[in-house]
Amino acid sequence: MPMNDKTFSNKMFDGVNYALLTLISLITIIPFIYIVSVSFASPSEVVKGGLLLVPTEFTLSAYKYIFSTGTMVKSIGVSIYVTALGTMINLMLTSITAYPLARPTLRGRRTLMLMILITMLFSGGMIPTYFVVKSLGLINTYWSLMIPTAISAFNLVVLKNFFQQVPDGLEDAARMDGCNDIGILFRIVLPLSMPAMATFGLFYAVGHWNTFFNAVIYINDSDKWPVQVVLRQIVLLSQDRIGDSTSQSDPADYLPQTIRMASIVVATVPIVLVYPFLQKHFAKGVLLGSVKG
Amino acid sequence: MNRKRSAALFCTIAFTAGTLAGCTGSGAPAKEESAGAGNNTPLEVTIATPQVGEAPKKGSDIEQAMEKYTNAKIDIQWIPDAAFEDKKNIMIASSEMPKAFKVKANASTLNAIQSGLFWEIGPLLKEYKNLSELSPMYYDNIKVDGKLYGLPLYRDIGRAGIVYRKDWFDALGLKPPVTLDDWYNVAKAVAEKDPDKNSQADTYGFFLDKNYNDPVQSNSFMTRLSVPNGAPNKWGVENGKIVAEFMTQPYMDTMKLLRRMFQEKLINQDFSIVQTADSDNKWNAGKVGIRVNTVVTASATSFDNVSKSTPNAVVDVVPFTGPSGLKIPAETGNNGFYLFPKSSVKTEAELKRLLGFFDKLLDADMSTLLTRGVEGKHFTKTADGKAQFKDLTLFNLEVKPYRDSLPSFETTGKGIPLKQNELQAKGSKIAAENLQSVVPNVALTFNSQTYTEKGVELDNMIRDAQTKYIMGKIDDAGWQAELDKWLKAGGQKVIDEYTAEYAKTKK
Amino acid sequence: MQQPLEAQMQGARVSSFKRSQLLRDLIRDRWMYLLLIPGILYFVIFKYVPMFGLVMAFQDYKPFTGFMNSPWVGFKHFERFFTEPQFWTLFRNTLLLAVYNLVFFFPLPILLALMINEARQALFKKVVQTLLYLPHFISWVVAVGIFYVLFTTEGGVVNELLVRFGAEKIPFMLSEEWFRPMIIGQSIWKEAGWGTIIFLAALSGVDLQLYEAARIDGAGRWRQLWHITLPAIRSTIVILFILRLGSFLDTGFEHIFLMLNSMNREVGEVFDTYVYMKGLTQAQYSYSAAVGLFKSLVGLVLVLGANRLAKKFGEEGVY
Repeated sequence: MPMNDKTFSNKMFDGVNYALLTLISLITIIPFIYIVSVSFASPSEVVKGGLLLVPTEFTLSAYKYIFSTGTMVKSIGVSIYVTALGTMINLMLTSITAYPLARPTLRGRRTLMLMILITMLFSGGMIPTYFVVKSLGLINTYWSLMIPTAISAFNLVVLKNFFQQVPDGLEDAARMDGCNDIGILFRIVLPLSMPAMATFGLFYAVGHWNTFFNAVIYINDSDKWPVQVVLRQIVLLSQDRIGDSTSQSDPADYLPQTIRMASIVVATVPIVLVYPFLQKHFAKGVLLGSVKG
Repeated sequence: MNRKRSAALFCTIAFTAGTLAGCTGSGAPAKEESAGAGNNTPLEVTIATPQVGEAPKKGSDIEQAMEKYTNAKIDIQWIPDAAFEDKKNIMIASSEMPKAFKVKANASTLNAIQSGLFWEIGPLLKEYKNLSELSPMYYDNIKVDGKLYGLPLYRDIGRAGIVYRKDWFDALGLKPPVTLDDWYNVAKAVAEKDPDKNSQADTYGFFLDKNYNDPVQSNSFMTRLSVPNGAPNKWGVENGKIVAEFMTQPYMDTMKLLRRMFQEKLINQDFSIVQTADSDNKWNAGKVGIRVNTVVTASATSFDNVSKSTPNAVVDVVPFTGPSGLKIPAETGNNGFYLFPKSSVKTEAELKRLLGFFDKLLDADMSTLLTRGVEGKHFTKTADGKAQFKDLTLFNLEVKPYRDSLPSFETTGKGIPLKQNELQAKGSKIAAENLQSVVPNVALTFNSQTYTEKGVELDNMIRDAQTKYIMGKIDDAGWQAELDKWLKAGGQKVIDEYTAEYAKTKK
Repeated sequence: MQQPLEAQMQGARVSSFKRSQLLRDLIRDRWMYLLLIPGILYFVIFKYVPMFGLVMAFQDYKPFTGFMNSPWVGFKHFERFFTEPQFWTLFRNTLLLAVYNLVFFFPLPILLALMINEARQALFKKVVQTLLYLPHFISWVVAVGIFYVLFTTEGGVVNELLVRFGAEKIPFMLSEEWFRPMIIGQSIWKEAGWGTIIFLAALSGVDLQLYEAARIDGAGRWRQLWHITLPAIRSTIVILFILRLGSFLDTGFEHIFLMLNSMNREVGEVFDTYVYMKGLTQAQYSYSAAVGLFKSLVGLVLVLGANRLAKKFGEEGVY
């Protein structure tokens, strides 16, 4: 019977899909479970090696170690500031640059796109960029972490592509209502591109949150260090072996491994928490009802 | 609609404004010139150093104490170690160097030195009491083209030793190994006789990690094992010519030993990918008989670590003896060194004052400050006038960054002696005695153009060949072929260039 | 037969017409150009101005002598690079990894995104999405450390399982045959999930009404996928593919560097690790800049070619 067949094949389709996705998720999550459990495990268990998934002795000592001074908390504050402000700058600049480039009738569009594409492939390197940043007086300021990376050419190109997929019908309707170009950007194109904006917002935010290298190069004051710098410093300290000739008995209840794993958790959790808030923008059917009438 | 237009205008203005705001904002603070003339004005000392862990706050107690004693104004820039090399290059390229720049010995440092960026300090050292009474070996090891530019962060030169599980050895009737055969027997006994008594074949005589045959470091296992048998320390001299360690018979014997042990599964089969941290773990878990990647002064740490999992463990340390007695590869004797850029240190007078600053750091009071901390806060004095650490966590936070970045001596300095337990005292004693019997790396300060260009490839080639030989992938003939390949690819040129340098020193 | 004068006047009228058309377009789009100013400023200041540093590839650059004073050596570094005995090994290794990456890695985020998209259960979707992209946040240092625990022959999880089922231990980390599969597999594990995000964003823009209409017409899940979903994200796929080609010869330095060892160097050493070895550890800035420039040029050629091809098929290219 036709109806049953369709339901059955539907169900098969779904069944296989769910099964595969579950399997894949398991494969992805297991190493992460390992990381989390090592971060909470006591040294004697970790030292045995192997894939520790459920520690029998729970301890918070690794986390306590990481947060033992105010430096960690301050650096989290720095990172939140840079991430929030930086991402806003990113999204604003990227979208106002992508929008004109998305209009097929813009003169010089192809040339501009080519010029931008070239910046994706060729780079002068770290030293010349440093000279530019220095000549703008941005060294040792938080701006140095936000302005030189203000627009990602990759994000720009793909965002432009998304803008171009907004149906012309909507634009024409709005124009007939008296909207000019800028109005169309803010009233039609941006609201309909929320999935893309959420995506690139996420990309930019993660980029800011993960800033390490640029921070070392451009920031000189150690009290301006963002979170990734402090974390890596802490992990490296716990691994310091030959350099430490004090050879004093350290009653600490942690190991380089537990510190490192705990630092991964601390570095990752904030960003992981951001994603669910963005997911609502990936809801389907954003365009539903917009072309009617 | 007008709102939208102004929005666009706003965007444009905002961005430009932001950039301009950055222009007028604070940039790197200008480094003032030192007063120079009056000897009573505090010396301005700016330092940049690679560092791990959290950075101390400016004007910390330690800094203030230093400033008072040395009559200086100290400004330390702490640079995260993980990206230090890049930052260093940028600082050099943009001429933003401090007055004292702590660097590590590597190709780019050598480059910088050879282009005349830094003051030569060799002839000036004799004016400084503490600096000049130290063994010349520390300084010889960092000379470039025979000249001294750097002030080293001193480290022990003879740090090799055998740190082992005495309880296992006693139970199995073993003695610390001397000959290569001893090493074989020890490994076999530990692997087969289940000294940890858990009925599982999970104990190793020693656990190798991937740095076991590092061609540059003198603390690599292969070198440590071969030198007591007569091999050179990385590079030696035979008949007036420079020879590489892996071309000598004693080194070959060590390789053959390991190959045999690999075949009989007496060493870990994955040694070429094991990270040092993982091999440490094996020792800490109480599965290893001899800890091969450590130093004698840290033998007590080895004990502490393993006793966490194996409370009954007994750890002892002995010197590394071979059939012909005590012979150890000399290590570099420094953990980086300070360079003094001509662009920031304008006059020789200022340079002299800076050297004086470092000289004072080796005085008794400063030595105590840097290696023990502040009395009452970080350490207490015992009845016999020794220092005992009170709060190690606080020490690591407040004092360690300074100790690791400024010249000091842990146990042989002028500060208050350290209260040591038996194992620590033994380790320090061995390190001191080793100094008489170290075998230097003849080519340590030689320059080879070919090595500068191709060094890493050549090193990789010979490392891979050794690993393959030990793992049984190639035989003796195969090894010889690899050696010939290495010679042809540039190895022979390196040898020739080193030999030429050697001949120069003999004149 | 037109008089030369008339022809000239005709030509003049045409070109003046074009000029006034140009002017009209510029004025019509004046707000667009205004919006573009910050972006253009950004690219000029932070991308094009530093590009002068590319001259490093043609000099014997040293940080202290700087770009102005370092001696000019023309193509010396390029010659040296192409005549290196290692060049063909590096080329083969890099090329193979790049191709495998494109063939095996590139389609996976698309597939995964489609699969997630097809799942109707909202909570399941959310959980799976979050789980899949977690590995992206683990640094390669930690990731390879985990792979060591999993794949080593001395008590590694996978090998222990193999032994229990009566099979032989496999030296995953230490053999030439397994190197490329391991690299690709690890890359997939780490980055495929993150790559789905962009496709999910594209998928969420598909009009649900189209599915309704198709269902009424009797189309099953597969046909809906093929005729509605895929075409909707086609342009995104094309754009990402073209951009991917730009970094064709980039093989992920840190990952490979951590996985390299004596046993697999023959197949593992690629341009990126080679450049690192020369550039940072041996202070040969100019040489590594030259190699980098070479890679960029290859990427450029590929991108231009792919773009032209895409346009032929009626797609919107990158430029």
